[in-house]
Amino acid sequence: MTEPITMAPATGEDVTRRSALVALFIGISAIAAGYLAAFTTAGTPIWAAWLLALGIPVALGAIMILGAARGRRGIGPLKIPFAFVVVVLVIGFGAALALPATEGPLSTLWLGLPARAAIVIYGVGLLPIVVLPLAYALTFETQTLSAEDVERVRVLARENQAATDNVPREPIDDKLRG
Amino acid sequence: MIQTTGVSALLQVALPNAARPAVVAVGILYFAVVLGISVWAARRTRTAADFFVAGKGIGLVALTVASVSVSVSGFAFIGGPGFIYAVGLGAMYIVLPAAVTNVMGAWVLAKRMRLLGEARALITIPDAIGARYRSRGAQGLSAIAILVGIVGYMATNALAMGVVINSIFGVGLGWGIWIGMGVTLAYSASGGILAGIYNDVFQGTLMAVASVLVFLFVLNFGGGLGEISRTILAHDPTFLGPWGKITPLAALSFFFVFSMGSLGQPQAVHKYYMLRDPLQLKWYPLLKTLGLVLVLLLYFSVGVGVKSFVLSGRLAPLASPDQATPALLLNVTPIILAALVFSGIAAATMSAANSFINIGAAIVTHDLPVAFGRRVKNELRWGRAVTVLIAIAAAITAQRSGTMVAFLGIFGWGLFASTLVPALAVGLNWQGATRAGAMASIATGLIVTLALETAAYWKVFTFPAGVTASAVAMVSSFLVFFIVSWVTRHAALAQIDPDVKLVMDL
Repeated sequence: MTEPITMAPATGEDVTRRSALVALFIGISAIAAGYLAAFTTAGTPIWAAWLLALGIPVALGAIMILGAARGRRGIGPLKIPFAFVVVVLVIGFGAALALPATEGPLSTLWLGLPARAAIVIYGVGLLPIVVLPLAYALTFETQTLSAEDVERVRVLARENQAATDNVPREPIDDKLRG
Repeated sequence: MIQTTGVSALLQVALPNAARPAVVAVGILYFAVVLGISVWAARRTRTAADFFVAGKGIGLVALTVASVSVSVSGFAFIGGPGFIYAVGLGAMYIVLPAAVTNVMGAWVLAKRMRLLGEARALITIPDAIGARYRSRGAQGLSAIAILVGIVGYMATNALAMGVVINSIFGVGLGWGIWIGMGVTLAYSASGGILAGIYNDVFQGTLMAVASVLVFLFVLNFGGGLGEISRTILAHDPTFLGPWGKITPLAALSFFFVFSMGSLGQPQAVHKYYMLRDPLQLKWYPLLKTLGLVLVLLLYFSVGVGVKSFVLSGRLAPLASPDQATPALLLNVTPIILAALVFSGIAAATMSAANSFINIGAAIVTHDLPVAFGRRVKNELRWGRAVTVLIAIAAAITAQRSGTMVAFLGIFGWGLFASTLVPALAVGLNWQGATRAGAMASIATGLIVTLALETAAYWKVFTFPAGVTASAVAMVSSFLVFFIVSWVTRHAALAQIDPDVKLVMDL
């Protein structure tokens, strides 16, 4: 079921979206700081890569939450797959940065790859595939789009069409309107 | 950047002459199928909506395969495996984001784009930006940004087509460009995006089949991934480290630009308008992700496999990393598999070119006139005419200096990402975003990308290792978008029409 659409300002009530925006801003700022650090004359400090390793998962998680949030309902059960994926990315990047380089002829292989490479390829590259698209499909009607949602948009479109005498609407800047 | 890097990588490659009878025969068969699909589609294209968004009538599977096809260029077959061969697993950070990008695009853009198409009969990306901010200025500015990116993409794709067709048929680079662009033009101008979509379906299927077969062949030839890894670890353990031979910052930069930047790629985002039933979006991310994984199997397996085969002496050392795929195909695999892959590479470049021709034509005949308060009377007829002009201009440009073409091709992905991601992807999900924020963000992305890429290309300025113009431009564009929207927040809600607000609230 869909909730009634209110014309109240979103900023006052939509905690999930506001939190996602703050997280997105923080994530992007962390990435920006990582790049700025690379311009220092002493060379790129190690923490610059850590800023990206943390900032990228936060930014990606935040923008997904921003897109998935529905008013006061927030993201509902999607909080679990979103948290899972952000954690997987942080752990994957973090492990690649933090674990010692032990690759060699005698390395133990995990599904054909040395440990750190396996964490990145199978963890970062494959685990989200198992979780996110299925979470999207399984919550689609309740969290993303229902037949009622589509019908509401179509009804409004028909009303607009009738009001504008079958002429498609064009974007108009306020000053041009005047 | 899969597209840009791919084209740029192809430019560096003098692909070996592969004109063996089997390769030529499969190539001819490939072009015959493409032309057959084009004739069929041309008979079904009657309106501008048919031409630019396939009348919003594409089914789920067709749209998914087509979307996979335009998301991957020749880079996945030539430049990418060569890049892995050169730097090891660090090159995987270009394709690892595919695990999240499709579903991220679905959550952030697909539903709202498709519903906006329903509410307003929109057909382009700038249409959506214009509707969101109720601004002709924002629509026009985003149209200009996309057009600048397309100029580069088209020239480099035309040249890449020439390189591949010359390799298959041995006709020379100049003729390769004209043949490739001529065939692409034939179906772009006659059947518009409808022909493009169904050719993409054929081309995407071809790419996936070729990729899976090569993957299986490499594993079998190498005795499994474990044996391949053991050979590499005995000679060059850094290759299989988590960053390969590049710095962590560089690898993570790839991941950032290719993941977040995917939300601004018009050739993929534009597809959301075309789905027949919005409710079919339910399975779109899963199918597209699986399709991309199949197509990208070749990228990983050839890069790692050829490294192992060269180290073990089963394959002669390569003249350059970009020869990894051609060397494997022409010296190790059965010739029919080589024929499939070479046709797959041609398919990848043509698919990308068609998509950009169509988007460019829509901008010239639809978005720019709307931005100036005009309407083209017969968008279908003018769309076809502009399609021809864009294709000819691209082919002529591709015949010119390789240096200039290479420069044009560098900034496409980054330009789309930095100009469109904040204004479109964040803007459609944040009612506090403002017209001023969007326009400032688009302008920032455009200026920063062009300035930094120009300075770097002409060696006026050198970035620290791991920092790219694309990443800096995208971060700058985001920050400008947030700051300007916050400063002008008093105007935010007044700039959203009720139907757009409904779409944003759902």
